[in-house]
Amino acid sequence: MASGDTLLIFHPYNNEPPATNYATLDTRNQHPCLDFDAATNESAMFSAIMPQHYAGTTGVTVYLHYAMSSAEADTVDWDVAFELIGDQDLDIDGDSFAAVNSVDDTTVPDTAGLVDIVSVAFTDGADMDSVAVGDSFRLKVTRDAVSDDAAGDAELYKVELRET
Amino acid sequence: MALTLEDRARVARGLMRYWSRFWTVIAISKAELLAAVGATDDWVEDNAASYNAALPQAARSNLSLGQKTLLLCVVAIARVSISALRQFLGEVD
Repeated sequence: MASGDTLLIFHPYNNEPPATNYATLDTRNQHPCLDFDAATNESAMFSAIMPQHYAGTTGVTVYLHYAMSSAEADTVDWDVAFELIGDQDLDIDGDSFAAVNSVDDTTVPDTAGLVDIVSVAFTDGADMDSVAVGDSFRLKVTRDAVSDDAAGDAELYKVELRET
Repeated sequence: MALTLEDRARVARGLMRYWSRFWTVIAISKAELLAAVGATDDWVEDNAASYNAALPQAARSNLSLGQKTLLLCVVAIARVSISALRQFLGEVD
């Protein structure tokens, strides 16, 4: 597919939470969201199969649609990581996420509830744990709450993967 | 006795979670909130004698330190809203 085309979309109900420090399912005016704490690094995980129309050349960019529960100032940090499951590539008894890529120091919207979109780019190959067409994988989204300074929860509403 | 640093951090975290639950605007950073919690605790420490002196004789003589502190907190929460106080006490008639 062409650069910029959508590959996958994840919703809050698609979350497969980790055993500990998981983002909490919530709603805001009936919009489902995942609440990421301000003090503890919490994560959400989404699984999928890389679509057959992924070109496998320029990588993917992950777009995070989030709002803040209460903060109307300061910054938020997000980390994103891929884990290849593939075809006899991973014993799923354990986790094997590649190193995170981040979007840091994003000034939050000046109105709580206003949805902002930030993006994290991954080059094809090891950067995205070598996930290729037809491979199953997991995507982990973490708020780096220990490093950012915006007070209160961050709410994740949607995640989109696009061809870079 | 003033709160420990860990307890001050607990207060700040709890406040953030409370405000997030009700979507109450927090226009300061986490560090600034923690500093505010510390300053408030310091103020309580520095003004404890003044508060005690302001209490009527019966309460001053017969309530424990914990009861006097709770009294101060309950009145302060009521100044936020009776609804908030109801969440704390369970029922406010």
